[in-house]
Amino acid sequence: MVRTRPEESTSRRDFLKVAAVGAAGATVGAGWRPRKAGAKPAQITFLRESSYVKEFDEHFTKVLIPAYQKETGIKLNYEIVAAGGSVVPRLVSIVESKAPVDAAWVQQEWLYREALLDVSDIAEEIGKQQGGWYPEIKNLSVWEGKWKSVPFGNIGQTMVYRRDWFDQAGFTSFPDTWEQFLEAGTKLKKAGHPFGMSMGHGYADNNSWLLPLLWSHGGEVVAKDGKTIHLDSNETARAVDYARKLYKDACLDDCVGWLDIHNNKAFLTSQISCTNNAASILISAKRDLPDMGKVIDHALNPKGAKGRFHSLVPVTHGVFKHTPDPEAAKHFLRWLMDAKQVANWYRSAQMYHAPFLHAYDKDPEWDKEPRFRADLKVLETGRLVNWPAPADHKAGEVVSKWVVIDMFAKACTGAPTKQVIAEAVTALRQIYG
Amino acid sequence: MSVNPAFEAARPAPQAVLGGRSLRFREWLEREAVFSWIMLTPPLLFLVAFLGYPFLYGVYLGFVNRQVAQASIFVGLGNFDKLWNDPIFWQAVWNTFKFTGAATVLKLAGGLGMALVMHQNFRLKGVTRAVLLLPFIVPTVLSTVAWQWIFDPGMGLINRVLVFSGLVTQGPSWLGNPTLAMVSVILVNTWRGLPFFGITILAGLQTIPTELMETATIDGAGSWGRFRYVTLPLLMPVIFIVTTFSIIFTFFDFQLVYVLTGGGPANATHLMATYAYSISMGGGQLGLGSAAALAMVPVLGIVLLLMSSYVRRA
Repeated sequence: MVRTRPEESTSRRDFLKVAAVGAAGATVGAGWRPRKAGAKPAQITFLRESSYVKEFDEHFTKVLIPAYQKETGIKLNYEIVAAGGSVVPRLVSIVESKAPVDAAWVQQEWLYREALLDVSDIAEEIGKQQGGWYPEIKNLSVWEGKWKSVPFGNIGQTMVYRRDWFDQAGFTSFPDTWEQFLEAGTKLKKAGHPFGMSMGHGYADNNSWLLPLLWSHGGEVVAKDGKTIHLDSNETARAVDYARKLYKDACLDDCVGWLDIHNNKAFLTSQISCTNNAASILISAKRDLPDMGKVIDHALNPKGAKGRFHSLVPVTHGVFKHTPDPEAAKHFLRWLMDAKQVANWYRSAQMYHAPFLHAYDKDPEWDKEPRFRADLKVLETGRLVNWPAPADHKAGEVVSKWVVIDMFAKACTGAPTKQVIAEAVTALRQIYG
Repeated sequence: MSVNPAFEAARPAPQAVLGGRSLRFREWLEREAVFSWIMLTPPLLFLVAFLGYPFLYGVYLGFVNRQVAQASIFVGLGNFDKLWNDPIFWQAVWNTFKFTGAATVLKLAGGLGMALVMHQNFRLKGVTRAVLLLPFIVPTVLSTVAWQWIFDPGMGLINRVLVFSGLVTQGPSWLGNPTLAMVSVILVNTWRGLPFFGITILAGLQTIPTELMETATIDGAGSWGRFRYVTLPLLMPVIFIVTTFSIIFTFFDFQLVYVLTGGGPANATHLMATYAYSISMGGGQLGLGSAAALAMVPVLGIVLLLMSSYVRRA
């Protein structure tokens, strides 16, 4: 019997052809090919985390991108990553896969500093042009004598509180010391308005008050040498005891497990009277709950025996070494950070990203929303999360394992002070050897 | 020797020869063994590229000290030794077993119950079955965000019901209390996994011949007797398979805990998967993180061995 060639045999071959062409296309498309030397770059890709302030992203897309394209003829691709913790994994994967991104907002750069280009020329030029840099940020951006990133701004983490409820409880100004803070919290909790101080596995709202609490009591995690573990001290014990008491007497039980979104939710639903957060609560309230927006205020962290501290949440910009055209990417970064561009970009977000440049200390924009002024003070008293140790990958491991946060959280859920410190020290020895 | 003109005429023209080759190629292509391999190759390549290669690369990373953007240094079993002495890792291991064990038992019991109910005849059976599948269909991240609201201490559904019913004056902290946080993640995992058990066991139930039930009834068996001595033994192969798969899925669960608690409070809900992620993507320790992820593989191996030996016996 002769087998006829059914029509489907053609379809199979077509399928194979299409599959082969598709696979080849995907392979070529996935390739990140360097441009020929001297060729003008056709496009640059810049990655950032989306901002809580809509106008900030809009200014970039509607003003800065067209301006750059008009000026240089280079197409600027803007890749936005959702806010709330997804940018660091994205940056890590970009570095590892050498994905086609030329420059980016970099966060926790201690993880991948080796993949960033030296941008000392830009950072020094911008610093000179705009009043110089705040000193603490150099401990992050400058590594082995070279600027590996150009600082942008700090997302100010301050105390966010309900001024009306504090007034009703008899506190017409925000508590200046941790003891007064406890006193106010105890009174407000009894009045049905507890505090909600995050102690869970978040990224910012936990570090932003627990580290300053530790530092202001005189405690520190690792010494300046980046090797000696200093956590086991009377000062740490005092800070742990304080946190336990504050949690028991002044806080909502739930806050010990909160991620960064939970305190926003609790504050905006009037479940808490105070938390430590960025300006996102105030921004949301002004937009969606205007009455509440009027009675929210921002204040600095209380001070302890060793002074007042804040924890920085810095944003910097870097250029990846794997970019096919380093000069083009650096040209864009220099252009972006030039006062002609960056000043209005900062202002578009009402200084949500407090500039690390002194030229903006007296910028009139600060007067438009005086409650953001606390963010300016944070730049003076703010320290990097690893302070006083170097911002290296070991410090990053301490943060990513929540070693210090969990020390406080365990104490608040019933473990004795000595035990929680000992467990944290064991975890630190794992990291520092 | 002269050539017979008849043969000469019969010789195919050069183009026809090509056509013959093409015909042979087509015939070769149509052979079952050839075509099946051609069809299998793309998915195999896909599996090798997206499962095989990452897995083998993960195994390699488990034996090197590899930080993001830095070169690898071979450390042999160094990463595993580090994990062996890491109390957080052991807490994550213990949590993973608790989470998997409790959630699997609950899903099995609930799924069996769900299947038995769904096996009955009642109005709107089709719609009910479709609705019960919802937890399985809705993306995990989305449903987990909804659960965040359900567990909210003041505004959450659970505490509101508890307070309005007068059972308590103030609801508990579901995600703030370490024990309740673990209970919460187990509950959500159970909620999400129940339809998988329910529908699979229901499929098993529908294969049980009604004659067996009738015979058992004639022999004097009541509802419990029919379930205990007819339904359950016949369902055992299905239950075993579905449980095995569920153990694997639950053991490797990541999204639910990552979104709901981030492994907190104080590591109370940290699973091996979330801890491996924290080390790798948060701490940049790709080697150590891979070793933590690899540590889950032997458990998977044991489960697969059990499964295959059971299937062989059956």
